[in-house]
Amino acid sequence: MEVQSNNFIPAARIAIHDVDLRTAVAMGTDSGFVKRQAVMFADGKAHGEAIRGQAAAIKRNALNKLPDLLEQAEAAMQENGIEVLWAADAAEANRLVLEIADRHDVHSVVKSKSMVTEEIGLNKILEEDSIDVLETDLGEFIVQLGEETPSHIVIPICHKTKESIRQLMIDKADMPPTDDTDEMARFARNYLRQRFLDADMGVSGGNFVIAETGTLCLVSNEGNIRLVTSQPRVHVALVGIEKVIPTLEDYATLTQVLPRSATGQTMTVYTHMINGPQRDDEIDGPEHVYVIFVDNGRSQIYTSDYCEALACIRCGACLNGCPVYKVTGGHAYGWVYPGPIGAVITPLLVGLENAKPLPYASSLCGMCKEVCPVIIDIPRMLLDLRYDLVRSGYTGLDWNMGMKAYAFGGSSPRLFSWAGKAAELATKRFKLNSLPGPLAGWTDYRSMPSFAVKSFHQLWGETNGDLEGADEQ
Amino acid sequence: MVERESPKGKRVSLFVTCMVDMLYPETGMSVVEVLRYLGVEVDFPMAQTCCGQPAYNGGYREEARKMAEQFLHAFKDAEVIVTPSGSCGAMVCHEYPLLFENDPDLREEAKRLASITWEFTEFIVDGLGINDLHGRLPQPQKYAFHDSCHGLRIMGLKQAGRTLVGNLENATIVPWDNSETCCGFGGLFSVKMADVSGAMLQNKMEHIEESGADAILSGDVSCMTHMNGGLEKQESTKRVKHIADVLADGIRQGEDR
Amino acid sequence: MSNSREQILQSLRRETQPFPYAKAPSTYLHMVPSGDLSPEELETIFVDNAQKAACIVHQPASQEEAIQTLLDIVGEDRKISSWEPDQIPVHGFESALDKAGIAYVGEDALVNVGVTGVDAALAATGSLVLSSGHGRYRSASLLPPIHVAVVSRAQITTDLETWLVGQRTKGLERMRQTSNIVIITGPSRTADIAMQLVMGMHGPRELHIILID
Repeated sequence: MEVQSNNFIPAARIAIHDVDLRTAVAMGTDSGFVKRQAVMFADGKAHGEAIRGQAAAIKRNALNKLPDLLEQAEAAMQENGIEVLWAADAAEANRLVLEIADRHDVHSVVKSKSMVTEEIGLNKILEEDSIDVLETDLGEFIVQLGEETPSHIVIPICHKTKESIRQLMIDKADMPPTDDTDEMARFARNYLRQRFLDADMGVSGGNFVIAETGTLCLVSNEGNIRLVTSQPRVHVALVGIEKVIPTLEDYATLTQVLPRSATGQTMTVYTHMINGPQRDDEIDGPEHVYVIFVDNGRSQIYTSDYCEALACIRCGACLNGCPVYKVTGGHAYGWVYPGPIGAVITPLLVGLENAKPLPYASSLCGMCKEVCPVIIDIPRMLLDLRYDLVRSGYTGLDWNMGMKAYAFGGSSPRLFSWAGKAAELATKRFKLNSLPGPLAGWTDYRSMPSFAVKSFHQLWGETNGDLEGADEQ
Repeated sequence: MVERESPKGKRVSLFVTCMVDMLYPETGMSVVEVLRYLGVEVDFPMAQTCCGQPAYNGGYREEARKMAEQFLHAFKDAEVIVTPSGSCGAMVCHEYPLLFENDPDLREEAKRLASITWEFTEFIVDGLGINDLHGRLPQPQKYAFHDSCHGLRIMGLKQAGRTLVGNLENATIVPWDNSETCCGFGGLFSVKMADVSGAMLQNKMEHIEESGADAILSGDVSCMTHMNGGLEKQESTKRVKHIADVLADGIRQGEDR
Repeated sequence: MSNSREQILQSLRRETQPFPYAKAPSTYLHMVPSGDLSPEELETIFVDNAQKAACIVHQPASQEEAIQTLLDIVGEDRKISSWEPDQIPVHGFESALDKAGIAYVGEDALVNVGVTGVDAALAATGSLVLSSGHGRYRSASLLPPIHVAVVSRAQITTDLETWLVGQRTKGLERMRQTSNIVIITGPSRTADIAMQLVMGMHGPRELHIILID
């Protein structure tokens, strides 16, 4: 997917003024957030927090052992009959998929939702090779119809109202006009049904890979993953290298904390543990299963100070809790991963210079960290990324100079009080009605603050700390 | 966060914060009034300016360190530091040790100051063990609390302010679903990402109108300035007040009895 | 290709561990704190949670009644998809189908009803564990709009954690043999359209559980 993250501020402004988008995003995120709170604390706050601590320990322990786990997973999967491939970057991942498609004479692909495949732009590559690609997750299917991109990690069409979805399905899929959500879903089911059954290859992502048993694990509610990984004769799964976990016990925690955090469910409707292709005594299932471990910048994150970002299990809880995401939606972030985790991993995966505003797209409220099932300290990483931006020279001259002046003034009590006095004069006596330079945006939304005639310093000094008879004028 | 010893019986140095200093000196006076009412000795290191948080949050760590050094210097004789701000408190308690961790000369002093810094309401309730100021508001008031993000999530502030205000005669605390929702200030975020900040403010103001409270109370004048700026621009009758001002009001009335 | 493998693994070898203080948990908390439960309690909890997940739970008094329940669900249809009868824990299934003139196949995209047994039932979440294998066709629980799962009470266990530990004590044999395991919690659904919940997306829209001894 093309990176447009440097466009965040104007893109956010457009999103903020889009009433339909604001309504849809607020509804989607409020629902997710409220449900997450309810289910995580159903057995008490202490239990919910203990589970988070457990999930956090599990992922960090897994990351500690990552290269060994990958090797262990590969050996176990191969023993199960899964062919394991490795892709250093997006180009290689795409090439590998094309080779597999070619090897098996594939002309049609059905896909389940996979953020990694968005990252590498797989659909376009397949289509350019004359391979029919159909997204089967209802949200992704609608995204595909509208030739858009998903705007949320879990709810791809979080940004769309029912009316716009309805219109899209009428225009692009010839749906008979209906207002009924059931009928709309039923239409999509029928539209996709035969394609599922006829497709040559299924492409999925992977939520987890269990190293000890070589099991590829996926979660879904719709049943499309079951179809994508059962019906076609070839199944290819693209999995980020950070998804490998050591044991079945680790898996039990993570595969349950994921839906709790994402949608407030105790389990998703379908929790898949895929060991390999069709066995001799089975009549269904794919004949060939491939797992492609995708790096695409993850190993670089792994060896940096931002390794914790790889603990993410892509639940979307941080998006649902984020007050910034709530008003901008996902597209403003300009790439595959929006919201708080997106603000961290986008610059890390596509380069700081291509995502300069994102680390600043946060008030550092900390809600993301509070809801993250694996307790990723996103605010900490945003602060560190901001420092990286300043040090790399990617911040504006006006801010740089402003900060230098601020630090200069702030290191001297006298200069500081003069600055305060000057501000008071400017606003009260000279009726300055907006703040200077980079601070000008204040008055777009707020009235001017009122500087005091006498600062606290002055009042204390004048009354010798007594303050009782202080004359504030 | 650094472990803190009991501040009972110790002299308090007021860290008034730059915004209170320049915009709301009366809030600084409220803090001193309440502390002295409780028998606490309060001084004010005149050399203080700003803790440097805006620079730090902007990624300008060298500039932040310069201001933090001034802070370390200003408070070098402090036994206990009290500040009417969760975010400025968090800066000192949480970030100063990190900011100076590679500075062999100032590392210990930064840790020392982090270990003696308290936010105003937690100082009274958790530090001194005082829940009730025996104060009285002149008129019955319904208050909802805004939990400023840094105070809430970094310093763990939640109950202290509610306890103190709740124990004032004539004060009623109304529950508010959106007390923990960020108001959208975020320091310089408010101007750097002005549209996003403005939209978050819009949401917060809607919640304020729905709260059923006469006024919203906050422990941070930064959030307060941002919210009041929006409420005033929108010509709302609602306002946000600082907890210290309400408590000072309460003890004045209480004393007059 | 193996070049990338070496390259990736090499680049992941750090001098120091990224999280030196992190360890795998010494004991794993269960997601749902259940404690020790009697079989009756387990059953009640299972039924309750399965219903919460929108399953329709039948508790026939006898094997014959169970068969009748099944036939009632099949209704007028004369073809179903199904696991092999020896994989389904109810007596007389095959002969009852035969008598009613209902044909069964392993895989059929056009039938209305699919019948399966289960490997286990998880009380804490109201879930069913189904593994593929000889006579245990994936399609029966996937393609038809109505899925009927016959569960014997002895198959109910506390939760996923407990079931996995049980598998481990058996040497993970089943896990090795089967091509896949699916844990099913209710009928398929989506809320992608403006957060409105719709039951029955790509998988079945009705999940019946027939609970017998």
